[in-house]
Amino acid sequence: MSDTWRLIDMRVEDAYTQMGIDEAIAYARRRGETPNTVRLYRWNPSAVSVGYFQSIENEVDLDACRRLGVDVIRRITGGGAVFHDYNGEITYSLVAPDDDPKIPRDIISSYRLICGCVIKGLEKLGLDSEFKPINDIVAGGRKISGNAQTRRYGSVLQHGTVLVDCDAKKIFTVLKVSGTKISDKMIKAAEERVTNVRRELERDVSFEEARDALVSGFEETLDVHLEPGGLTDYEADLMEKFREKYRSQEWVFRR
Amino acid sequence: MGRVEFKVPGGKLIAAEAEAEGGRIVRVKITGDFFMHPEEAIEDLEGSLTGVPVDEGSLEEAVNGFFGGRSIELIGVASGDFVHVIRMSLGLP
Repeated sequence: MSDTWRLIDMRVEDAYTQMGIDEAIAYARRRGETPNTVRLYRWNPSAVSVGYFQSIENEVDLDACRRLGVDVIRRITGGGAVFHDYNGEITYSLVAPDDDPKIPRDIISSYRLICGCVIKGLEKLGLDSEFKPINDIVAGGRKISGNAQTRRYGSVLQHGTVLVDCDAKKIFTVLKVSGTKISDKMIKAAEERVTNVRRELERDVSFEEARDALVSGFEETLDVHLEPGGLTDYEADLMEKFREKYRSQEWVFRR
Repeated sequence: MGRVEFKVPGGKLIAAEAEAEGGRIVRVKITGDFFMHPEEAIEDLEGSLTGVPVDEGSLEEAVNGFFGGRSIELIGVASGDFVHVIRMSLGLP
């Protein structure tokens, strides 16, 4: 019989709450009653997240974000800047103890395993993709998912983005690219490097359909049953504390 | 000194902004899309480089000494890449 993990399913929250929840689960996993958890979620309002080590001034056009109502947040994980478009992206996260028998100790191997869940999910939709070390998933040579992992509080936390649709012009408006003016040529160049589920399948895949496929992808790859559930009271309290950190200017402009 | 970027072959991007005064490092900021566990070690690394002489060997020794004495995991970047970008930012050959 396969293990049961918790599924926190398609919560729609703002950036600070989403990152607060991920950190709260990672923190709580080693304490209290928190089970291994997979989350699928969307960001509303849309937001830019930058990796822990990134310079926010270099990566993000803060004026454009303000103008468009796009939140800006720094993650606790490294990696690159991501535009979490409410209309074009599903984020997943996975939390387990860092010595869980299912999770390789080696970082790249664990990326390969967890990215494999997304790859299996995309396969359910009829889309071929593959893991591209260190932390990407590509379809037809183009990036369709970026992923970031940390290990802290005795847990492994990996979260990643699955592009369902893509507004390249908006991405270039909120993310800085070498200070040049946005041109059609640049957008075309980006479309050569990045793709999304709807474009690859040439049909209007709904968020529900993508969600169902991803849930199956995680269950089959990890050999677990995902049981829908919510945050514990302890996690909910922790989340509020972490959320305040993520909202603080001190944290966002830390680097 | 200016911000210098370096894309590690087969790895991630790392950038450094370093300043020296009187032959010693007074400030270093390292940014990029690499991974380091625990993440907060980057601030410790930056702090530990303040006061290091800007000469052949001292920077490398300081960076290697920092990573050698701690349990830090680097992904997509190696300690030599930190030395490399900081040297470039300081205008060293």
